[in-house]
Amino acid sequence: MSALPAPGSQESAPPPRRFWESGPASWNRTLTSRRVMIPFFLVALAVPLVLQWVEDNSSWIGAQYWTLILATCAMYACLAVALNLVVGYAGLLNLGFIAFFGIGSYAYALVASDQIHQRYPLWAALLVVIAVTLAFALLVGVPALRLRGDYLAIVTLGFGLIMRDLILDLDRPPVLAGHQFGPDTLNITGGTNGIHQVQPFSLPTSLPLLGPVPHYRMYYWIFVGFLALCIYCMLRWRNTRTGRAWVAIRDDELAARAMGVNTFKYRLLAFSLSAVMAGIVGMINAAQIFNAFPSPNFDVQTTVMVFIMVILGGLGSIPGAILGAIAFTVPPFLLQQFVFYKYLVISLVLIAVMIYRPEGLLGTVSIRPRQTMGGTLELITAEAAIEASELPPVTDAEPSDLEEATGAIVEDPEWKQP
Amino acid sequence: METTLNQRPVSLQIRGLTRRFGGLTAVDRFDVDVNEGEIVSLVGPNGAGKTTVFNLISGVLRPTGGSIMLQGQELVGRPAHRITHFGVARTFQNIRVFPQLTVRENVLLGTHHWTRSGVLGSVTFWPGTIRAERAAQAEVENAIALFRERLEPRLEDPAFALSYANRRRTEIARALAARPKLLLLDEPAAGMNPYERIEMAGLIRSMRDRGLTIFLIEHHMPLVMEISDRVIVMDHGVKIAEGLPKEVRTNPRVVEAYLGRRAASA
Repeated sequence: MSALPAPGSQESAPPPRRFWESGPASWNRTLTSRRVMIPFFLVALAVPLVLQWVEDNSSWIGAQYWTLILATCAMYACLAVALNLVVGYAGLLNLGFIAFFGIGSYAYALVASDQIHQRYPLWAALLVVIAVTLAFALLVGVPALRLRGDYLAIVTLGFGLIMRDLILDLDRPPVLAGHQFGPDTLNITGGTNGIHQVQPFSLPTSLPLLGPVPHYRMYYWIFVGFLALCIYCMLRWRNTRTGRAWVAIRDDELAARAMGVNTFKYRLLAFSLSAVMAGIVGMINAAQIFNAFPSPNFDVQTTVMVFIMVILGGLGSIPGAILGAIAFTVPPFLLQQFVFYKYLVISLVLIAVMIYRPEGLLGTVSIRPRQTMGGTLELITAEAAIEASELPPVTDAEPSDLEEATGAIVEDPEWKQP
Repeated sequence: METTLNQRPVSLQIRGLTRRFGGLTAVDRFDVDVNEGEIVSLVGPNGAGKTTVFNLISGVLRPTGGSIMLQGQELVGRPAHRITHFGVARTFQNIRVFPQLTVRENVLLGTHHWTRSGVLGSVTFWPGTIRAERAAQAEVENAIALFRERLEPRLEDPAFALSYANRRRTEIARALAARPKLLLLDEPAAGMNPYERIEMAGLIRSMRDRGLTIFLIEHHMPLVMEISDRVIVMDHGVKIAEGLPKEVRTNPRVVEAYLGRRAASA
């Protein structure tokens, strides 16, 4: 290249020096670096020991209570990170996400209780949970991932509701067209009662140096450990070929395809991996509370809760997901006397976030309706939103041409004329 | 393999390519041969169907009929992501870089189809994955070499923060990282200032000198006349002229397509 004058001199502004001025992308990079993540998890692991020490040396009681709250918090953080994979990285609105959490906990409960008289060792139960959630993810994903945006959201929402009804109704043999399948005594899921007396993981009850470890503390550590594992995987994926392909599909599917990314394969991969993560969290939860219930496991409300955590923290941001999980699990316990106003406060906070920071606290992507495709809701970057708003609406297009429209009209402005 | 007068083997051979949108025939029995190591320009008035031809070659749209052969292999009927494997890379008229990825990650996306690494490999630091990532990073250096002063300081910045011209350069670098045999450039100099346009002309030539075959759409005629080995003119989906730049410029049908019948007869 010849020595030309550099016209882009205004581009090379000096990078802001202060952390809080450097913007969400840089915040995420700093907060997910090794020198922040490793101390964070070490502190998180030590917290119940500190609580215990305070309880032993003062009149305060509540080490167990607060460890349980923090375990719930860690569980929601795991779910938020798993949801971040499918929504934040790959840009798929999966509203049936929480069903996989439920499927995981029921799969574990079935092979670790007297419900069908199976008590598998931990490793075998883990394989069963992974296999079952993966099977359900493929069952839904293979047909549904051919859809985009809010169409996918509706199908996955339907899946979540069907799974809930299935769990509630499988305490008796299914009857289809007047024919009963199985004997009268068949009871797989226990209906509204759920499955009781699920065995916890067979883990040592005391550790060297730490002495006896109570159940609640052990499961707190398991949740934090699994959270660390999930985050490690997510960060590795984001920095290698697979994660780049996911974000590329989210940013611009057509360009990703033109660069040789098999978009269907990668969407399915993100969908199934996030389902398996949620399934394992469900399994740990079932072992922690000795039960598998239909109510929190399959409620649409729980899905919404996890979505709120991810959106508040910022789609695609892992520190944001942890922040969101903390923000929505700890305050309700601190403010017990205001519990009636819980949802009022949550909605006010969300409205404020949507007005002042639609991409979330640490996020760079936001959910906005896309004007061009008849108001289809999809994950859209700020840049793409501007570009889309400049294109003419194609709502009056022939339905049969809609598929064409994405390729021909959005892609090829020459074809606006006819 | 077919050869032409100048004895260069044919890279891209299109025969009878047709695409209809409802009642409108966007591309009508279009034939073209692009030889290896050649720069061929596709020009024509707005709405002539040039971008549609590119969309058909790269598999974004499916042709209604006809055949597209790249070095003797049929591309029609293959999905877009498979066509990349055969050695076709493209850029887009309205630039399509991935805005949330950094420039480096954008270019790394180009290496996606020829590297192998999976979800398990990356979390276990599997040697194959490490090798694949190293090869991809080396290819980024290779692809970015053409844009050294322009893109190197911006490598770690997200693509949405780039200037228009730098987004174009990123998109071209991404296409180069895919190690293509045939590069489709859709209006590479659109919206650039004269300095940048001259730079782009030199760039296209140096890519050809690296052994690439280049098929480009461009509206800026002086640029087309300067760099092209051959020019093909399209109007209303039909090829109306083909030949050396100076032959095409004086062809009455071309003048008619651009300026109307009266100007052509004057």
